[in-house]
Amino acid sequence: MMAAIAGLGATVGALGRYEMTRWVQARRGNRWPLATLLINWLGSLLLGLLTGWQLNHVTLVLLGTGMLGGFTTYSTFSHEVVMLADQRRYGAMAGYLALSVLGGLLLAAAGLWLGWLLR
Amino acid sequence: MANVFTIIVFAFIGGGGRYLIGQTLPVVAGFPWVTILINLLGSGVLAWLSHAKRLTAHWPEALTVGLGVGGVGAFTTFSTFSVEAVRLLLHQQWLLALSYVLLTVIGGALCSLLGVWIARRWWTFRVTEQ
Repeated sequence: MMAAIAGLGATVGALGRYEMTRWVQARRGNRWPLATLLINWLGSLLLGLLTGWQLNHVTLVLLGTGMLGGFTTYSTFSHEVVMLADQRRYGAMAGYLALSVLGGLLLAAAGLWLGWLLR
Repeated sequence: MANVFTIIVFAFIGGGGRYLIGQTLPVVAGFPWVTILINLLGSGVLAWLSHAKRLTAHWPEALTVGLGVGGVGAFTTFSTFSVEAVRLLLHQQWLLALSYVLLTVIGGALCSLLGVWIARRWWTFRVTEQ
């Protein structure tokens, strides 16, 4: 039952990622993986917020594990890192990697803090 | 529209599957190794899927998009990775936090590389000489 709730949230998250990726790439192109960076940043901030807020279990599974877990993606991130290296764009690769990981951590921490304030 | 449908179907399986695996596998010493496993596995599969053109060329495009964006995309997660890493840092588990980030980042890149390599080795079109 809870797995279905997580799955339901994930459908919304994955569709949001698909549409947001298309929206960003239509405006900024896909030479640099800006769409995935923004998605993973936004998702890290919001998951931090939900986690810090300590909502009830079902809401956390639906919106956190499901929706935000499905919105953000690690597989595309890894693949984009490898593809930048494959194109020998090592500076872009290092920048993308550092911005994603460090930015994700900072935003998750900021989200947790905001969640604690809301509690 | 077909893409939207397949993304919904496979994201349900991917996201639900991630939850089930998280519930089934035990947490060992407070270290989120299950997320590492999920993200590494998904990184390998997505890279393979993106380059296995000799296979995916025979499918409808919506199936490849559904499996990649929906299935594997929703199976793996960046937000949980970020929040779990911050939690380890907040509990001053410096070594665990560093290991978690390095294992995820380096392991994910290696799995992705392996997926690309396997697909290019066996599942890609080759230019044949006349």
